[in-house]
Amino acid sequence: MKERIFAAEGLIIRTRVLGEADRIVTLLTREEGKFEAVARGARKTKSKLAAGVDIFAHGRFTFHRGRTWPIVTSLDPIERFNWFRDNPDLYPYGLYLAELTDRFNSGEESCPEMFQLLLDGWQLLGGDVDHALLCRAFELKLANCGGYSPQMHFCTVCGCEVSLLFSPKQGGMVCSRCSATDAVKITAGTLALAKHLIEIPMAKVTKLRAGAEQKSELAGLTASFFAYHLDLGDLKTRRLLPE
Amino acid sequence: MVYPGSFKKLVEVLCRFPGVGPKTAQRLAFYLLGLSRDDVVAIARAMVEAKDKLGFCPLCGCLSELDSCSYCNDAGRDQSILLIVQEARDVLVMERTGQYRGLYHVLHGALSPLDGIGPEELKLDRLEKRIAEKEVSEVIIATNPNVEGDATAGYLARLLKPYSVRVTRIAFGLPVGGDIEYADDLTLSRALDGRREM
Repeated sequence: MKERIFAAEGLIIRTRVLGEADRIVTLLTREEGKFEAVARGARKTKSKLAAGVDIFAHGRFTFHRGRTWPIVTSLDPIERFNWFRDNPDLYPYGLYLAELTDRFNSGEESCPEMFQLLLDGWQLLGGDVDHALLCRAFELKLANCGGYSPQMHFCTVCGCEVSLLFSPKQGGMVCSRCSATDAVKITAGTLALAKHLIEIPMAKVTKLRAGAEQKSELAGLTASFFAYHLDLGDLKTRRLLPE
Repeated sequence: MVYPGSFKKLVEVLCRFPGVGPKTAQRLAFYLLGLSRDDVVAIARAMVEAKDKLGFCPLCGCLSELDSCSYCNDAGRDQSILLIVQEARDVLVMERTGQYRGLYHVLHGALSPLDGIGPEELKLDRLEKRIAEKEVSEVIIATNPNVEGDATAGYLARLLKPYSVRVTRIAFGLPVGGDIEYADDLTLSRALDGRREM
């Protein structure tokens, strides 16, 4: 039987209002996976919870298991990501990482790697980083967390040395003999960039820079791959990215 | 328990109000039954009248009678200050303070890309046109002190930069009557940032 009171380290990835003064928050936690919880009275100015149960908050939360939702009973804030206050352009980027994680994660089981990935993503967003590359690295690593990483090193069909064709349907790079109708040609630079983004730790993305053509090609590549394999539909925040 | 059809219908209708469940709806229904016919008619008439006559001012977005806006048409108000709020009900809260005598602009929301609300949905072009055409010297942004409200405020500040207006944000701090001991660290740090000389 599950404990009635439990604690978890979490990131708030979505909020919505409930009734007069309550807020429902979607948390991605390190220990318990993704779930929704209620913060009672969080919209009142005198609420102790108000500041800690907003999106982009990272904290240690305590919950009481309610009948419908767990109820947030206390919180110990660890970090609040405020980069969007100085640079409004970062707001859609932060939300994009949150929406992508929310849609990708079914919430059935915990995934500490995904938690760490989002935490790293939000932490790096405020620093000196190419935001488009950070998003692409995040997308590729998120796919990797779920076991959907595209095959970039050899032909996904015959295993031979690859040419420069990428097929979302076939799950990665394909040679000219095996390519399906959806395969598109990508440049050697974009292929190298994609491989690099998959392999390096998130912190090293800050050191990377790429040309506009490479970034645009890579954005198309990840968007088509996600659309075909992960059935995420239209991501509302993606259309607001200033890319 | 079997209720007469008209009572059941009344309870069902009352359940449509926010925060009203079947139990509360039942209690309200019994209350209405206990009133005189004239009182019930007056309540029903007030609801229909409000629905027919009230709307949002096409200029400022405040709740107003359809033919005139009491804020825009008030010559005694300072026409050079514009206070931006998220919802029409926020105007009533501001008015309750008795401190503000300028004009309002209601956004009817805040930037929330996750809910599909972007700059287009907030009709910010209307705000820009208003500032460009009127002699506005100061814009006070009073969106909610949360992530959505702050992001909207940041976006507005940048949007209004090309216009020669002073853009300010309402102060953040501790609620009156509260103890510092119970304040969260973000509110306290913002209160410290916004401290005033005495």
